[in-house]
Amino acid sequence: MDIPKENSQNNKTMVIVLLDGPYISQYVNIGCEMAEAALNLGYGVKIFLYMDGVHNLQKDQNPRDFHNISYLFQGLIKKGCEIKACIRCAVSRGYQDQSQFLDGVEITSVYDLAEWMLGDSKIITLGG
Amino acid sequence: MNSALIIIDKAPYGYENALSGIYIAIASLDKGIQADILLMGDGVYAALKDQSSEKTIGYPSVGELSYSIFPEGNLFVHLDSLNQRGIEYDDLVEIAELIDDKTLYNLSKSKNHIMKI
Repeated sequence: MDIPKENSQNNKTMVIVLLDGPYISQYVNIGCEMAEAALNLGYGVKIFLYMDGVHNLQKDQNPRDFHNISYLFQGLIKKGCEIKACIRCAVSRGYQDQSQFLDGVEITSVYDLAEWMLGDSKIITLGG
Repeated sequence: MNSALIIIDKAPYGYENALSGIYIAIASLDKGIQADILLMGDGVYAALKDQSSEKTIGYPSVGELSYSIFPEGNLFVHLDSLNQRGIEYDDLVEIAELIDDKTLYNLSKSKNHIMKI
């Protein structure tokens, strides 16, 4: 999709907070579709994975009955989407380090989400 | 100043949401964001005083943790949700503030960010 000129120079950012893991609901798919649409319109997009949301970026997902959700995130990362995951949530769920996640994901603290709230951004939470 | 309202509508135990919502509020306040918490629906149970979750289920007391946002942040408790569950104001932690629908409307309008956890 071509980026409309009227939107290509803006500095606004959409921050999506994903609370659900993959496959248990459609929230993740909807979030990814919203992110792609915003990126195509020239907006910045940041995704914060919180609570069960951290599972979405786990490497080596191999669902038999669904599309692999990690492919959607890989596409978003290539388009410039910034993705961070809550370290407290990740450690709680058994993730030891960055190597268990897709490349391009940063494991960080919830304080980075608060940092994202400071700019010219709009936040939407999905799931939970 | 940036501002945020974090809405919690799930019971404090059995779900991680209340604990995680308070953490977002704490982090936001640390960054200078005027963050408040709104408890509504079953979320109002998070404001009950004398919770004993640490001793009984080994889980942090959400009621105690809510004090972490005070005094910069407010802990609002939705009045109708409280009444529907038969809970009295005196049953709540000291920092709890009751909020009716009209006041909630005005509060919501004043916030940059509204997050339902």
